[in-house]
Amino acid sequence: MGLLIPLFVWIATPAICLAPPLPTRSSAETTEADPQATTTPPADEPPETKDDEEIRKPVEEKVFRATLAAAHTPAKHGDTNGESWIAQRTMVEDYCGWGWVKKDKESWRQARWVALEGTPRSCPLPNTFLPRPEDDKNYQYRFFGTFAPYRAYEPQADMWVDVFILKGFMSLGPAKEEIRRPPPAQASSGVNRFADRAPNLLKP
Amino acid sequence: MRLLPILCGLSLFSLPLQANDIVLISGGPALRSFEKYKKASHDKYWGNFIDSALTRAEELKKDLKADDKIVWLVFRPSYVSRTTEDQTDYLKIIEERSAKIGLSPIFFDNKTQLFTLLRRDGSKEKPKICRLEYFGHSNKKCWMFDYSNRVDGGALEPLVVHVDDLQKISGSSFTLDAECVSYGCHSGEEFSQRWRMIVGRPMVGAVGKTDYSDGGMPKLSTGKDGSWVY
Repeated sequence: MGLLIPLFVWIATPAICLAPPLPTRSSAETTEADPQATTTPPADEPPETKDDEEIRKPVEEKVFRATLAAAHTPAKHGDTNGESWIAQRTMVEDYCGWGWVKKDKESWRQARWVALEGTPRSCPLPNTFLPRPEDDKNYQYRFFGTFAPYRAYEPQADMWVDVFILKGFMSLGPAKEEIRRPPPAQASSGVNRFADRAPNLLKP
Repeated sequence: MRLLPILCGLSLFSLPLQANDIVLISGGPALRSFEKYKKASHDKYWGNFIDSALTRAEELKKDLKADDKIVWLVFRPSYVSRTTEDQTDYLKIIEERSAKIGLSPIFFDNKTQLFTLLRRDGSKEKPKICRLEYFGHSNKKCWMFDYSNRVDGGALEPLVVHVDDLQKISGSSFTLDAECVSYGCHSGEEFSQRWRMIVGRPMVGAVGKTDYSDGGMPKLSTGKDGSWVY
């Protein structure tokens, strides 16, 4: 036993002496594995160079809207000849589309949910005449135009909706009641047969 | 007969190295008239998908092989409508900026044109694609080139590459070791896996949202458990 203690000290001493120095606080912070560190610049770094500023110089927004509180949609706008539909503006949070459209004799139960596409230079969407897009919520219009041969993709609900191309409209004023029917919500494609297959996580 | 393998070997050596294309795709910005009053307002800056693609092109140029070429495909209609809205000629700006790094944009107007541009046979005129990267709006099911541009909060069918459209992209247009990346939001949640299964090449995509607001290459949005997957 007397011999073992010096032998242990003889073996352990070089290991202690030759051990790499413990990292200092600052060096430990910089070498810490942080996947975000490679992409996120430090806060005290100057945000952008002069070149970046020039390139990303914000463009003044030129979205012209009415600013008067009493602004309203025109009684008639665009081409108001030909076949017409009754339309009611309905807004659904985070959902693509303008509202419901039906023929004169149909009930609102038979109405179709549509995304509305204006005609450049001749007939913009009715709500663009108002200060804010939601200002004509539950208003009714007589729409002139056609259903487009293509659909629109609604990314939040993952579904296709009909597109109505607006050529003209007449304002009919506020609707008597809100349409509470939820918009359609069928999936844009069939069951995803790859969904049960977990994605491969990309290791940094 | 014994000379046959030797001759074959010599003929292989005499073949020139096959040139490939690196394809960068830029989708279009939303219109501010649709987005201005939304809580999650998109594309305050018109050129998010332009600057990021050009930044990436500069990076890729450093390691570009001798005969390889960077092909930059830009969805035109959204920049035309944003030009009208902002009264600034963005197509001209796109051409000027790309010329600075020796690149020339190839404009496309719908997904059919894009599929044609991606159809390759390995010939000198249509070299195979060794890398494809997408910058633009997307969700887990599709790339949306004209998100919130012609219709509020959505994209039109001819301007969307949906997972059901992927069969129109042939795996033979890509080299065997081709790498694909989608820098759009949520691509890693389904689009990437479908791409891999149908096109036959892995595609890296984001789980969660990507953020272009700092300029340059997009980052995963902070504050959520986002990751890059393939």
